[in-house]
Amino acid sequence: MLSVVDLRARRGDVDVLRGVSLEVSRGERVAVHGPSGCGKTTLLLAIAGLVTPTAGRVMLDGHDITTTPTHRRGIGMVFQDDQLFPHFSVAENVAYSLRVAGTPKRKRMREAEEWLARVGLAGFGARSVDGLSGGEAKRVALVRTLASSPAVVLLDEPLTGLDDELHQQLLLDLRLLFDNLGTTVVMVTHDRTEGAALAHRSVNFTHLMRD
Amino acid sequence: MTNNFAARWTALLPVAWLTTFAILPSATLLIAQVDLADVARVLERRSTREIVWFSTWQAIASVLITFVIAAPVTWLVGRHHFRGRHALRSISSIGFLLPSIVVSVGFVALLPGAAETSIFAVLLAHAYFNVAVVVRVVAPRLESFDARLVWAAQSLGAGPMRAVGSVWWPALRGAVVSAGAVVFIYCFTSYAVVRTLGGPTRNTLESDIAVRAYAIGDIGGAVVLSLLQIAVIGTVVVLARAITRDAGAGVQRTRVALGRLTKTRRAVGIGIGIVTTAAVLAPLIALALSSLRVGERWSLAGWRTVFSGDFVGTTPPLRALWSSLRTALLAGVIGVALAVLMSHAVTRFGHRGRWLDAFAMFPLAVSPVTLGLGLVVTFDEGWYDWRGAWWFVAVVHTIVAFPLAVRVLVPSWQNVAPSLRDAAAVLGASPSRSLLDIDLRLIRPAIVAALGLVGAVSLGEFGAASMLSRSGAETLPVTISRLLDRTGDVVRTQAFVLATLLVAACLVALLAIDGAGARTRHARGVSRALSR
Repeated sequence: MLSVVDLRARRGDVDVLRGVSLEVSRGERVAVHGPSGCGKTTLLLAIAGLVTPTAGRVMLDGHDITTTPTHRRGIGMVFQDDQLFPHFSVAENVAYSLRVAGTPKRKRMREAEEWLARVGLAGFGARSVDGLSGGEAKRVALVRTLASSPAVVLLDEPLTGLDDELHQQLLLDLRLLFDNLGTTVVMVTHDRTEGAALAHRSVNFTHLMRD
Repeated sequence: MTNNFAARWTALLPVAWLTTFAILPSATLLIAQVDLADVARVLERRSTREIVWFSTWQAIASVLITFVIAAPVTWLVGRHHFRGRHALRSISSIGFLLPSIVVSVGFVALLPGAAETSIFAVLLAHAYFNVAVVVRVVAPRLESFDARLVWAAQSLGAGPMRAVGSVWWPALRGAVVSAGAVVFIYCFTSYAVVRTLGGPTRNTLESDIAVRAYAIGDIGGAVVLSLLQIAVIGTVVVLARAITRDAGAGVQRTRVALGRLTKTRRAVGIGIGIVTTAAVLAPLIALALSSLRVGERWSLAGWRTVFSGDFVGTTPPLRALWSSLRTALLAGVIGVALAVLMSHAVTRFGHRGRWLDAFAMFPLAVSPVTLGLGLVVTFDEGWYDWRGAWWFVAVVHTIVAFPLAVRVLVPSWQNVAPSLRDAAAVLGASPSRSLLDIDLRLIRPAIVAALGLVGAVSLGEFGAASMLSRSGAETLPVTISRLLDRTGDVVRTQAFVLATLLVAACLVALLAIDGAGARTRHARGVSRALSR
């Protein structure tokens, strides 16, 4: 379904991706682990189209999307620091992709509330995002991405910065949610156990590189 | 769409606008209106030397007086934390944001008859305007100064004077010189204040340019004086930059916990607060009270005649008010739209954005009177004879206020985290959609502030408007000035009435700026909290 073929990318003067290849099947959850700074996040950014590769291809369902603009790829991403829009309420954040797609306000707000209820945040819709705890913000960022019905969800260190109890709880919630939805996921993490707990398959980032 | 590609297109319109209405008129003045005979004629004249001398010494004296008056309040807000600190800083800035003609008329109302047109009145009005510059520039530097450096110097044997020279002054030098240079330039190019409070015999270069161009018709002479003025301003800017070039080096900017006011200092602080507030409000209160007096009597005749058919000016006041409001509205909409485009380009152009930013500051180098003169000379025939069009004044105001609006907007654009645009993109938003939903929504408070600022500048702008306003369609500042040129108690009261109306209009614009500023601070706080 998702194929990354010999992908190369630079950040500044550094060759961060040196011929990365990865295959992900529909509904599969793959965890890519490796030490901080090895280029895991750059791989996700390149798949999302936020970093332009210098060589290689990104294929989705057999189509080459390497030069397709980010907003037309149909690939969702949850950022490490969530990147919730500070000027929108929680529900407006979750409904943003629906708003972009032209869904009527009433319908998209109802859908946003349904998504929030799925992750235990029923009634949070009207709240401001700056009042959310770390775990709540993570859940909002996740359902905001899922609400856009992406073909693939990219997760960048999804559970970093949470205390142990919250970390375990959210891990279980995520697994349940992805199992129910059959979501295709590529996640990067520096924590092997986290990857093993959430993904069907774990790979070491350095093993993906040709050079 | 790459950043540079988008920036190039958004820069196109504001660059074309500035080139057409600021650079072209300045170039026309320089190329078409000056010959060497004019230069020799003007420079050899004794009156030119006297005017340059007066402009210079009154500007230096104004700088000194401004610093003396500003020192207590700057020290108070720069080194102490207390309730009302933000309010005191805002109050001390009111004068700077009010139209020069209003402040001048306020001093006419405040000062006794003998002093109302005197060098004392000119210097006092200049200080009234510019205290805000010192407070806004020097206080933040004071705020970030770590007083433990003084203790370190003293522990090494430095006496109090030595500590000032070796610790305080190096830390403050850049801010003090920058503030001094800005105040000097404002006072050197003073127009409305000198014209209103200086009496018939005192002229700055700026006011003499206006007299020469419009009263005498000596365009060549006026242009030579304009060039002389630009040369002096350029010299001051170069000198200030040379002095402050290494001023930041070695000065550690730290977040210092400001001391609370001790018991004895609290009394001094309250005193400074009261005196500052009273000094700022005095001319405005005097203005409002004077609008209720005709000669020695209390009377509503001024207000009545202003709004009836008995008005003696060439432009009925309601028409002048309408003229000012529509000009401010048009200048605000066009000026802010252009400034939004320019500030977007400045922040997206990478390191080349600095050149664009410097280009956007060009109108600061040319005084409004010179700009007005350039426009009159340039757009004077055929289909582009726009000198009589009411909207042309608004065009000039977009140029005068443009650098200020860009300065308000650039930091806001810079505060928008690029990763928010990435987040919008992965949710399906195109770059233009992201611009509308993310960038423009986040910088909205700054847009409102810029709108208020351009509106306030336009409402009070006098130099260029006095060159371009046509009889019967003058703006409020021009109408006020023309009323003051006439004799008679009722006429004088009418000037006070119109100035009071102008203060009210400007305060509405300034409240918009302050409210938007508070929202910007809140948004910045939210953004920082989220990025943590």
